[in-house]
Amino acid sequence: MLKKKQIREAEIPTASQADLAFLLLLFFLVSTVIDVDTGLGLTLPEYVPPEEQVMVKVDPERMAAVLVNEQGDVLIDGEIVSLFQIKNMIKPRIMSKVDLPLSKKLIVSLKTDRKTVYNQYIAALDQIKLAFFEARDEVSQSRFGRKFKDLTTEQQEVIKDAVPIIISLAEPEQVK
Amino acid sequence: MKFQKRRANTKQEIPTTSMPDIVFMLLMFFMVVTTLREVDVLVQFKLPEAQAIEKIENKRLVSYIWVGKDKRIQIDDSIVKLDEIENIMYAKRQALPNIIVSLRIDQGTDMGMVTDIQQALRKAYCLRVNYSATLKI
Repeated sequence: MLKKKQIREAEIPTASQADLAFLLLLFFLVSTVIDVDTGLGLTLPEYVPPEEQVMVKVDPERMAAVLVNEQGDVLIDGEIVSLFQIKNMIKPRIMSKVDLPLSKKLIVSLKTDRKTVYNQYIAALDQIKLAFFEARDEVSQSRFGRKFKDLTTEQQEVIKDAVPIIISLAEPEQVK
Repeated sequence: MKFQKRRANTKQEIPTTSMPDIVFMLLMFFMVVTTLREVDVLVQFKLPEAQAIEKIENKRLVSYIWVGKDKRIQIDDSIVKLDEIENIMYAKRQALPNIIVSLRIDQGTDMGMVTDIQQALRKAYCLRVNYSATLKI
């Protein structure tokens, strides 16, 4: 007797598919790190060997020399100020040079002792950057009526030309 | 006379057949976004705080240098010596010309150390640096 072959329906149960997907999803949700790196950006000067270094005279009017010593005392152009005054000291000087050509813009030179704590250095650098950012905001507010970050790319370029961030790290002195 | 309650004949169910699809879409998003942590940080550090911080737009260009509380320096997966930094970073720069070096330095470190690292970076021509800091509120 021949039996007719039964055709069974072959199906994969899909009811639990959603659960599986959820599990995977949870894994990736948990392991994802979306936080972006934040920090103070800076471009270091090129390395020049000490014997090839040339002294360039810079107009003292252009320079703002910021010195931070190991106690965290700050000296701007020979004047003792507190760490949190740096911004207010530098900003007017940036603002006064907005309309001058690039070769006359303010250079902020930052120098520290070898024993200065890193935290203090960052705080000083932060103040200097804040001064530049606020100056940029003010200039863009007066020219375009908007804050710097809301401008278009071309407008930002204009402002960047008017207020370039020039921070110079002083060449470390040889330790005797 | 009989009053019949008026009821809609339609079923009140949310169709769940497309739920897996939606979940898979979400899954895909997270899979693409995820970067699994590649390195174990071996040093202990606490980042300084700052206000004028910027985001690093391109994560692929970033290479990290850690400096811990105990003044150990870590690059990638290993603790390195100060005079090794130059060669390591030079090799990295060869592979990735516009590299950004993110310095994750403990807030109590001496500037002498930081200056030495910076000098090494300058010699290795890695000039774009970023002092990692958290936002001060």
